[in-house]
Amino acid sequence: MLIMSIESTCDETAVAITENGRKVLTDQIFSQADLHAVYGGVVPEIASRSHVEVISQLSERALTVAGITKNDLGAVAVSYAPGLIGAVLVGVNFAKSVAYALSIPLIPVHHIKGHIAANYIAFPELEPPFLCLAISGGNTMLVDVRGYTDMKIIGATRDDAAGECFDKTARVLGLPYPGGKHVDALSKTGDDSKYVLPRSHVEGNPYDMSFSGLKTSVVNLVHNAEQKGETLDRESLCASFSRAVSESLVPRTMQLARELGYKKIAVAGGVAANSRIREDFRIAAEKEGAQLFVPPLSLCGDNGAMIGCQGYYEFLAGTRAGSDLNAYANMEL
Amino acid sequence: MRILGFESSAKSASVAVCDEIGLISQHFQNSGLTHSRTLLPMAEDMLKNLSLTLSDIDLIAVAQGPGSFTGIRIGVSAVKGLAWAADKPVCGVSTLLAMAYNGVAFPEGSLICCVMDAKRSQFYNANFVIKDGIPVRLCEDRAIGTAKLVEDIENTNNSVFVIGDGASMCYNALENLKLDAHIAPEPLRHQSAWGVCMAAKRENAQSVHELLPVYLRLSQAERERQDRVFGK
Ligand SMILES: [Zn+2]
Repeated sequence: MLIMSIESTCDETAVAITENGRKVLTDQIFSQADLHAVYGGVVPEIASRSHVEVISQLSERALTVAGITKNDLGAVAVSYAPGLIGAVLVGVNFAKSVAYALSIPLIPVHHIKGHIAANYIAFPELEPPFLCLAISGGNTMLVDVRGYTDMKIIGATRDDAAGECFDKTARVLGLPYPGGKHVDALSKTGDDSKYVLPRSHVEGNPYDMSFSGLKTSVVNLVHNAEQKGETLDRESLCASFSRAVSESLVPRTMQLARELGYKKIAVAGGVAANSRIREDFRIAAEKEGAQLFVPPLSLCGDNGAMIGCQGYYEFLAGTRAGSDLNAYANMEL
Repeated sequence: MRILGFESSAKSASVAVCDEIGLISQHFQNSGLTHSRTLLPMAEDMLKNLSLTLSDIDLIAVAQGPGSFTGIRIGVSAVKGLAWAADKPVCGVSTLLAMAYNGVAFPEGSLICCVMDAKRSQFYNANFVIKDGIPVRLCEDRAIGTAKLVEDIENTNNSVFVIGDGASMCYNALENLKLDAHIAPEPLRHQSAWGVCMAAKRENAQSVHELLPVYLRLSQAERERQDRVFGK
């Protein structure tokens, strides 16, 4: 079955055509990063305006590149939560109309479930159950993926997402938006033990995390250095920071995998593109004799294919929406 | 020629089907429920009741602004989806012009003042005169304050009818002018999809990709940046 999938929850507009979940015929992605760069972060109103300007062209191009017609489509899948509400609304309202006009099923897809599903596209052999660490600009969570649509959050950040922390660090260092990749690039030549940064610990659930303390430490460190007129070793700060984030994530994930008895561990979301986190996971999984799944960089950020892939499994599970489907800024997994 | 029209630029939302003769059906809702949830079901129910499908529709029209940024985008996104999937031409019309069609209820020569609350002490406004039974535009759509609104209509000798959700807010200012000014009766104060269809009849159709919202205003972030960079 061919699914047209639509993603517009943040600053990427994407329309993909996928076949039976895992085969990607095309994934048309329009990144708005340039529009938001001068503001140092995503501006929701500008994101929403841009989505509505490009969504029909992207859909047209997706069909052309996939070499199919509208009548070949079996369903429309749409990322309907969580995200910037004004942005999500564009994709949802467009998708609802397309499904109605073509008289085909409409499948609502949770954006984070989509990120997890990016692994199915990258690894044809991967099947649930497995443990997944989903890390992005808006979310950081450890998810027990019991089935394609049956998932349970075991732990999550109590405050900032890991990606937010990367963005903030980039901003105080004056790096261009989006900052994650610049922090990553600088960290490669730095000394990761030069700056001592906190690994925060939260009470209660050992799998819950916190990143606000780390974020504040970095901000204070930079401001103090500015006040004293000291020059920071930016490479080493980025390296120390990346290490701190990685050490909050990787050991916790491995410990949970042991506890759940999983030998399959997946990582998903934009922050999964970070080279330090990828490398630490590789080493830890090898030591543990666990199989590690980390999507290629092209499938870590927001894209349409991941929504189409999860949409297919939602379709098989009977998930449907009517023309009254709404968009949501927040939504439980 | 059947037109399917959508209006979702303020608190109310409506969908209508019109032909050469006039209104065939209209669903109107002023409930405060989000347009994202109600707009498409209204269209779906209405067409079903009319025993029509999208293939029986020749043109899809939408109020493209000004108005609520989110409301306009819901309408335009929904219409883009329908028109793209069903290969239909579209027509984006001014919210204020569509609203002015309510003024055909008033006598020939009446001045129709359309005002929407644009927040930040401004109105989205355009003025029209009823001529040969239809509204004829007197000025472009704009975002202005009360002073400019008063200046533009204080010298008219015609009756003035104020339409839109900004009506009660600017009415006090107009009342002091000793004009023959009236707020349109409640049902005629709301913009409607019927007005969108009427306005679309007299405009050129567009391709779906050409259809864009009209905000008349920058986003807050762009405005603040301009102020910072170029001075106020
Ligand atoms: Zn995402």
